[in-house]
Amino acid sequence: MRNKTISLDIIGQMCPACLLLALKEINRNKGLLRSGKANLIVKTDHRDATRTIPGAASAMGYAVSVAKKETHYEIKIEQKNEDENT
Amino acid sequence: MKTKTLKGKSRRPDGYEKTLKENKLLHQYIRKKVNQLLTIMGTKPLNSRGLRDEGIIAIDPIGIISESFGQVLEHLKESNRQLRIARDHLQAVFDTAGVCISIVDRDLKILKCNEKQKELLAKNASGIMGRHCYRVYCGIDSPPLSCPAIETLETGRPVFIKEITKKGKVFQIVTSPLKNGDGTVEGVIEVSMDITEKKKAEDAMRHTEKLASIGQLAAGIAHELNTPLGNIIGYTKLVLQDQAIAQEQKTKLEVIAEQANVGSKIIRGLLDFSHQKKPVLEKFSLNTLIRRVADSLQDTFTAGNIRIIRSLERVPSLQADPNQIEQVIYNIIINAVHALEGRDGIIKIKSRTMKNEVEFSIQDNGPGIPKAHINRIFDPFFTTKPVGKGTGLGLSICTGIIQEHGGSIYVESAPGKGATFTVRLPYKPKTLCGG
Repeated sequence: MRNKTISLDIIGQMCPACLLLALKEINRNKGLLRSGKANLIVKTDHRDATRTIPGAASAMGYAVSVAKKETHYEIKIEQKNEDENT
Repeated sequence: MKTKTLKGKSRRPDGYEKTLKENKLLHQYIRKKVNQLLTIMGTKPLNSRGLRDEGIIAIDPIGIISESFGQVLEHLKESNRQLRIARDHLQAVFDTAGVCISIVDRDLKILKCNEKQKELLAKNASGIMGRHCYRVYCGIDSPPLSCPAIETLETGRPVFIKEITKKGKVFQIVTSPLKNGDGTVEGVIEVSMDITEKKKAEDAMRHTEKLASIGQLAAGIAHELNTPLGNIIGYTKLVLQDQAIAQEQKTKLEVIAEQANVGSKIIRGLLDFSHQKKPVLEKFSLNTLIRRVADSLQDTFTAGNIRIIRSLERVPSLQADPNQIEQVIYNIIINAVHALEGRDGIIKIKSRTMKNEVEFSIQDNGPGIPKAHINRIFDPFFTTKPVGKGTGLGLSICTGIIQEHGGSIYVESAPGKGATFTVRLPYKPKTLCGG
């Protein structure tokens, strides 16, 4: 059951810092994210990050979605469904 | 570390410059490797002006990326494991499917095929993969004109073939395009179902239905014609007894009676065919029966200059209808005599014991049966004899008699090499009723 949302605000940050900060957060919460107990929402206003972060997170086996908000983007990173694995 | 002051200037420790240089080189190396890793991750390199060397160490990008790579590797391993499982499942389905499945590339070279395909169409072929499908599966050197795989490659659409013969078996085939990511047809998936047995059963059913309808028709006509023909024969005989009739008219009446008798004989044949009598079982010697029929035809053999060679082995007594079996032997021998008409021929009659059956064969050295006729000679009304010379019912009646006895009859022949009719009868017939 996903019962926790971890939020990472990196608004104002540029690449490559955006990616490094997001990866650091993913690594730190690996256990929770992999088990589906939590999801991570990264807030960014750097457009490049909407490409680099989802690319890296997908390669690590997470499900990623990007939503455009009024002043920033929200990248949601969570456990991949079983039937999406392959 | 000690420092010495010399003329107001601070003096650097020994090796300071060297260490500074080495540290600089080390920082340059770290920055370079970090940027390499960031490029692999698809992002921008570090800005040398925006982030000093000390800052890089504080952020620890190598640590972050290496840990992320650990997760990538973990995910890849899991994906590989699941792919292997999925592949094994698919392979099991592929191999245990009751149909033949084969995948060929654009050059019609085999990429993959399942066990059923190998079993039915590539049994003794070695190194199937990479070879042309038409060579392995069809045993020919170039693709056939109506190849469904070629049509699918050309049109990109599935093709269904209701019936196609390959290596003596009949198949139903569906070819579907194998498309790559961008929709280009890069091969063909061919799924074939062996319908040989189904086809045989359908043919047998069609044949039986045909025979039944012919039988019904024949019985109806024969019944209607029998009475008027009987009257013609009867009244002709009566008129012939009249002494006052002139010889010329007598001759004409004899022709009428003879032709009416021919008609009557044909009708008897039709009735025999349509109302196959149940065999009346008796124990008798097949060889004695063969000798008797052959002896009764001795004049015919002599007239046709035909030599008879008998090779009769000791066979068990048959429990069958001797009259019906005699009719079969007679019909086959007479057919051989007709086949040898106009040539000095030889008829070989053999008998022998098989497993649970007694076999006899009648072989002639006549012109043989054309390929186009061989599958039809047991059909009713099929004859190659001139009109009025044969009804085309003889072999059909023989087949009915032998089948009624639970036996089998077949023919082997090639043009110019004569014909051999072989009959096999069980010691104790399986399907007999009555008697």
